[in-house]
Amino acid sequence: MRYALLVQGAPYSQQASHSALRFARAVVTRGHTLDSVFFYHDGVYNAARLAAPPQDEPHLPDAWSELHEQYATALLVCIASALRRGLLDEREAARHGKMGHSLKSPFELTGLGQLIDLGQRCDRLVTFSP
Amino acid sequence: MILHILNRAPGTSLVYREALAGMGPEDRLLLIEDGVNGALPSQVRHFEPVSNRLFALREDLASRGLVGRCDETVQVVDIDGFVELTEEADKTVSWF
Repeated sequence: MRYALLVQGAPYSQQASHSALRFARAVVTRGHTLDSVFFYHDGVYNAARLAAPPQDEPHLPDAWSELHEQYATALLVCIASALRRGLLDEREAARHGKMGHSLKSPFELTGLGQLIDLGQRCDRLVTFSP
Repeated sequence: MILHILNRAPGTSLVYREALAGMGPEDRLLLIEDGVNGALPSQVRHFEPVSNRLFALREDLASRGLVGRCDETVQVVDIDGFVELTEEADKTVSWF
């Protein structure tokens, strides 16, 4: 089956991101396709390029990136949620005259239309909220 | 059949009432995160309308020291079982 996840909780504040990551790993282990993870509201902080959690704690942005590398899961970040919270890729940083960019690769800024598309295109869309 | 997912304990949020009101006769309810507190014998009465369709996530029970403390009517599943429940359902609805 083709799965997509919606993550709306901030990493390290609520359990949502950790629950979603555990579910994501179980989905691919069971042989399903994890098409995309869509990060919305405070969930966009999962894409923070400069996140530096203590070494004995899960590194969520790295963990999502590994999922992308191993299973080609798209990591989609709501652009409206991200820009408000200071998460900009190089293009948006240049457009807004910011000195640095803060969105980790391979996370990508995208619109809510992508979320609607996932809901229609995937067999299952599972939401993890704070 | 819809799988409803609830991450709030009945003692701290009344959203479980909306979840129950939104459930059809065949739908299932999975308790995750703080929601697993609802699987305890002292709180499970809140879920009496769906008592044969109530599940709790083992990993979240374990992280709260609640494994083995669930009411006997609650079906405990691990994360693999969570995915399996989503396979069996037509879709999922998260309550929070």
